[in-house]
Amino acid sequence: MTDAIQKRSLWMDAYRRIRKDRIALFCLGIVFTYSCIAIFAKLNFIATPWDKVVGSSYQAPQWGWGGPLELILGTDIFGRSVFYKVLQGTRIAMSVGLVSSLISTPIGVFFGALAGYFGGWVDDAVVWLYTTLSSIPNIMLLIAIAFVLGKGLTSIYVALGITAWVSLARVIRGEFIKHKSRDYVVAAESLGASHFSRIFKHILPNVSHFVIINLSIQFVSAIKAEVILSFLGLGLQGQPSWGVMIDDAKLELSRGVWWQLFGATTGMFFIILAFNILGDSLRDALDPKIK
Amino acid sequence: MFIYIIRKLLNTIPVLFGVAVIVFVLFNLVGGDPTYQMLGRHATASQISELRHEYGFDQPKYIQFTQYLKQIVTFDYGRSYATKQPINGMIMDGIGPSLSLMIPAFFITTILSVAIGLWVAYYRGKLVDKVVVIFCVFGMSLPMLAYILFGQYYFAYKLGWFPISGFETTWPERFQSVALPMIIFIIVSLGYDVRFYRTAILEECNQDYVRTARAKGLSEPRVFFKHVLKNSMVPILTNVVVQIPLLILGAFLLESFFGIPGLGSITIDAVHNSDFPVIKAMTTLDAMLFILGNLATDILYTLVDPRVSLK
Amino acid sequence: MDSRAEFEKILEVKNLKTTFKTEEGTLTAVDDVSFNVYKGKTLGIVGESGCGKSVTSLSIMRLIPHPPGKIAGGEILYRGQDLLKFDASQMRSIRGNEISMIFQEPMTSLNPVFTIGNQIREAIGLHQKLSKTEIRDQAVEMLKLVGIPAPEKRVDDYPHQLSGGMRQRIMIAMALSCNPQILIADEPTTALDVTIQAQILELLKELQQKVGMALILITHDLGVVAEMADEVAVMYAGRIVEQGNVREIFREPKMPYTRGLLNSIPIMNKDPTGKMKKKRLQAIPGIVPDLLHLPQGCRFQERCSYVIPECKQQEPDLRVVASHPLMPHKIRCVRNI
Repeated sequence: MTDAIQKRSLWMDAYRRIRKDRIALFCLGIVFTYSCIAIFAKLNFIATPWDKVVGSSYQAPQWGWGGPLELILGTDIFGRSVFYKVLQGTRIAMSVGLVSSLISTPIGVFFGALAGYFGGWVDDAVVWLYTTLSSIPNIMLLIAIAFVLGKGLTSIYVALGITAWVSLARVIRGEFIKHKSRDYVVAAESLGASHFSRIFKHILPNVSHFVIINLSIQFVSAIKAEVILSFLGLGLQGQPSWGVMIDDAKLELSRGVWWQLFGATTGMFFIILAFNILGDSLRDALDPKIK
Repeated sequence: MFIYIIRKLLNTIPVLFGVAVIVFVLFNLVGGDPTYQMLGRHATASQISELRHEYGFDQPKYIQFTQYLKQIVTFDYGRSYATKQPINGMIMDGIGPSLSLMIPAFFITTILSVAIGLWVAYYRGKLVDKVVVIFCVFGMSLPMLAYILFGQYYFAYKLGWFPISGFETTWPERFQSVALPMIIFIIVSLGYDVRFYRTAILEECNQDYVRTARAKGLSEPRVFFKHVLKNSMVPILTNVVVQIPLLILGAFLLESFFGIPGLGSITIDAVHNSDFPVIKAMTTLDAMLFILGNLATDILYTLVDPRVSLK
Repeated sequence: MDSRAEFEKILEVKNLKTTFKTEEGTLTAVDDVSFNVYKGKTLGIVGESGCGKSVTSLSIMRLIPHPPGKIAGGEILYRGQDLLKFDASQMRSIRGNEISMIFQEPMTSLNPVFTIGNQIREAIGLHQKLSKTEIRDQAVEMLKLVGIPAPEKRVDDYPHQLSGGMRQRIMIAMALSCNPQILIADEPTTALDVTIQAQILELLKELQQKVGMALILITHDLGVVAEMADEVAVMYAGRIVEQGNVREIFREPKMPYTRGLLNSIPIMNKDPTGKMKKKRLQAIPGIVPDLLHLPQGCRFQERCSYVIPECKQQEPDLRVVASHPLMPHKIRCVRNI
């Protein structure tokens, strides 16, 4: 009962704080816009078909009113619209962030909760598992997994999903250790609540804000990792991802063709910036210590 | 103290073993048989079985695993598929160039970012603090590749201040060839590091003992540089030591772009050539270094935090 | 002996007002608080958590974190000089030297990475011109004074090697190392075991007699006040609501809030037949008002069982109900109960 009230007011407080925080609201707006672009691109409403030839090779960007939208960022080597590729790249980046989070979040919560709640050998085993995984430098592990699974979006999803749960599991484990001896959990236990119910019904809702905070961090690392993997040729083939575009740009710059790099970098910049700031604001807003 | 170190050393054994298992499972079980990839589609059955035999893929898995463990212990990772050279030789050749880029880059970054972190933490909430934090967040939000491409294009190609690419082995010239990648590394790392150190230091500023120190009548600089700084050494040290294995791995994007023949370049080439044993060796080696780095951090803790050796 | 000399006024707080900026607006944590502190005497400031008693003590030290906190008005006269007009370096020469403070959490109030000797010597070296060996000797001397066994050895220990009670003794040693005129003890025993509490209070009393300092004792525990204090100030929602010498207040509390506090202490008395008397504990109903949304009129009205319509019109002033040459009994209540 009391913990329901506490929880509600925690989220209400957070909501109130975020609503007052103009910068955080603006960042939420950016995330929302990117999500819309991603969904519309997925449904073929916009930027489609992205591989249509719309001009000559390496046509420079055309600004100004009334100009064709597809030429606003110029064209690539095959005369395809860079602007469309940036929009399609948004779809890929957002889907990498989303799917890898969908894989890693349940794993992280599950292992973290188990280790923190039960302690003992379960804890030892989980801690051993994630210490081992985090001993392999993240980028090498990503490379190795993507390399072994073969090229393509699926192996990127899996590689990111498998590596990213570690940080969440660490946090959740720590919180479970703190919460499991608190009065409300002991009270639930004395009323006969099972382990399952104590973990999922009682403790988990009280630590769930860490999941949200972790999500924004994970989106950032997923988007950055996708770019590096694609750049290394371990990611997407024949798809307009930001990483592939930046990889192309490496040969184009010396010819003065800067727009692919500019488009992909700008696309990345705003979404990563938004998630970075949002992560901080969420942490502040959901921190019950700051009142 | 001694017992503490021994215990930490013993703790690394299961982790080392875990790394070996994960790498083995990835490369030898999930990854399947790389011989088809190497020989191409038109290989004959006898060619394949010959190669499989040469690399030991026809052996049972447990023997392959013990062989892999032996490789780790003896630091002999066999030969590269692509270049046919012994891998440990390649690694030895690569360490020098990697270190000549990374050691100066790392030192300058660490000193700069700790200094800036202290500076803005001291003036917390003031304008400088806010401006620096904004710069950090913006800097963190740009991909490293963008810094590299822009830096190489503008400062090396356009302005001609630095060589575009290449690596000189003789000394003053070597510095020239690593200067630009070094600067890029510093700028890229600064955003994250400064923010990290600032947060770590500010965390300490809110502790009760800081209030006690002020109540004694100590001046702000004294409170900050004596009491706060020594306490924030633990997170600072952790962040520094954790990066050491990454130094030896080299900033592989930088190495590859600027043609520095270090371990990073070797790794990237191996990825491009599907050079299984090299990637496997590099992954293993990095993990080992990381574990060693952690061990070093644990030992260093005892120097800055008297509570550690009792835990 | 002249009674004037015995009651030398050493600190005079006048109309102190301390505010904090929050997201919902500026709240006044300490509102128009005045009291005197006399040499060698103990002032107890009592109240529930959040009533402003700790903020009052931090204001005297000028250790209110700024922002968000700010001393918005009043005077703090130490030997006639207003501390609020001091610059940072003058204030530093007061802190730890003339006025010292100990805190509630002995576990976290000492710096974990320096030896206790180092931390005590730091205070001594800062305020007194002494040689290194003299400083070291005095640190050991201080440890001896607060009853640390084997002080020569203990001086090189780290805080985590000591128990909570020992650490509070170290805090006291550190605070007294420069012979301050005033010691502010902010809930010095709250975090300690009951038996240790008694020891620490006993130590404070003993040292006060030995050194002759004034003590400002901040606590929520009326039992501690009855034991230690000469004068009591009861705070509620940022205001002093009752003030006076300790005997008067415990014998005849006039403010309903103080009565409520006294009724909520368990009292164990034996009746003549030797049985334990049972007296029902009475809690004060309701909760402390939100400082941002104070009611019009008396701040205690919503929890008060003596409330009359007049209480809701205007906040009563502090008025004298019984005179006393130095510690007159004052209450902030319109009723005479």
